Amino acid sequence: MRYEDRISIGGTLVWYYYICKREVWLIGHGIEAEQENDYILLGRYIQEIFYTRKRKEIMIDNTIKIDILPGRKVIGEIKKSSKFLESAKMQVVFYLYYMKREKGIDMEGVLLIPEERKRIKVSLTPELEREIEEVIEDIGRILKLEKPPKAVKIPYCKKCAYRSMCWA
Amino acid sequence: MKKPLYIFSSGRLERRENTLSLETQEGRKVIPINSVSEIKVFGELDINKRALEFLTRNQIPVHFFNHYGYYIGSFYPREALNSGFIILKQAEHYLDREKRMYLAKGFVAGAVNNILKNLEYYRRKGKDLKETISSIEEKFKAVSSVDSIAELMQVEGEIRKTYYESFNLIIQVEGFYFDKRTKRPPENPINALISFGNSLLYTTVLSEIYRTHLDPRIGYLHETNQRSFSLNLDISEVFKPVIVDRVIFSLLNKGQMQLKHFDSDVGFSYLNDKGRSIFVKEFEDKLNTTIKHRNLGNVSYRRLMRIECYKLYKHFMDEEIYKPFVGEW
Amino acid sequence: MFVILVYDVKEERVAKALKICRKYLTWVQNSVFEGEITEAKLRMLKDELKGIMDETYDSVIIYKFRTKQYYERETLGIEKPSHEDFIV
Repeated sequence: MRYEDRISIGGTLVWYYYICKREVWLIGHGIEAEQENDYILLGRYIQEIFYTRKRKEIMIDNTIKIDILPGRKVIGEIKKSSKFLESAKMQVVFYLYYMKREKGIDMEGVLLIPEERKRIKVSLTPELEREIEEVIEDIGRILKLEKPPKAVKIPYCKKCAYRSMCWA
Repeated sequence: MKKPLYIFSSGRLERRENTLSLETQEGRKVIPINSVSEIKVFGELDINKRALEFLTRNQIPVHFFNHYGYYIGSFYPREALNSGFIILKQAEHYLDREKRMYLAKGFVAGAVNNILKNLEYYRRKGKDLKETISSIEEKFKAVSSVDSIAELMQVEGEIRKTYYESFNLIIQVEGFYFDKRTKRPPENPINALISFGNSLLYTTVLSEIYRTHLDPRIGYLHETNQRSFSLNLDISEVFKPVIVDRVIFSLLNKGQMQLKHFDSDVGFSYLNDKGRSIFVKEFEDKLNTTIKHRNLGNVSYRRLMRIECYKLYKHFMDEEIYKPFVGEW
Repeated sequence: MFVILVYDVKEERVAKALKICRKYLTWVQNSVFEGEITEAKLRMLKDELKGIMDETYDSVIIYKFRTKQYYERETLGIEKPSHEDFIV
């Protein structure tokens, strides 16, 4: 199955695409980041408590939990902070695009940042639709590379759970 | 930060109230589950399946040692990390003779270079090690031309023999004398220290591998088919001189480890509980010591073992060829 | 980071608080814990404690230290467990 047909991995790859292309390749090859990394633990924990406490979730294609806000056709994505807004926004755009293309459902999206009490609306515009199509294509190209794109030092590296792997 | 837990006492290790509880004759000790990275068991320990399940859920490997401190085996919980890509690459580098030789030689080169660092350090401190060093350098030249694992192992064995013989020049402490390396069983205190230290190192590296995508069963220098784990033995070769040998030198030369810390049985010698405890403390201290890494800032020796695993990732991904860690002293 | 945690909670909640803290930190003596802990784990510990506390009656105080560099523990009287015990 192509990655873009699997919404869970697709969404994650889009998120990383806007931060680090190398990470896209690594995740796509089943090489997860260090699980004991504290930022990973914290992010996962915040998602978890949010899921269990406040939300109804539904499973789509048995792969991803997408939050549908009660009564409305809204897809929600929870983030720990608003630091990588562009990434997060495009991840939601991917879900919206997927729901439209695969399921024929037009939906609205919202980014939820519980720690900052923020909600940011995301809608699928024709421009964003074109952009996400290009991104999907480029991710496909990256995944086909024989080896990962070269490591490039960016500010994100500092807290990244792949840091030691990339800079060993 | 999570830390390894060493259990010397005898008793029962249980899951109780969602954490670990150790019941011994002296009473109950509660261990915060969130603070444990791995467990090394030396005492007579009872443990049940419920506890093992709990350890699995918390991804804590457990290594068992017998009464004499020899490694028995490990409880290696179901792995959290799996990448078909990495495992296939790991196998490819094993099956391809040339690729396997490259890595096997790499581990030997790492070991020998670190051995030479130790020797040079003591030479600078005035020990008469000139001959040992040149003899090892001479023997090491053969490595580039060998083309089988068996030959490589032989060269490595000879180098280690020369190196171990020099222990008598490095450790000049009454009562400690090294004649030859004896393993099963170690016949005298220095052999007992080497064996004990090496087993601690093997399990430490195994615990690091557990947190990576690498499969510890596929080794390169050490035959994959002969034992359950072998990659940890390969990586340990590089670190033995840096960790185990330096711990031994320091403990003996500073007089912290003495003959009274050994027990002996017919024809062999082993560390008693006090001796093990002294060794383990020094060993952990060494693992927690940090050094400067060119890209990653200050990293501990334990972390360097993980980094060694990641260097293998890069080697397998065809990004950067593997160059073993060589420590400065 | 290194933390020292002390709690003062109503008797009926002591057992619960004890149980929660024991998962993350080393019990030192009555209602006192210490240990090294990460941000994420500390957050989990605090959330768990909040879940059982009566915030109008109970109190939990956490002393946080970025490193243990200036830490020194002195005991008078009998020795108690320490987070540094890794051989048991």
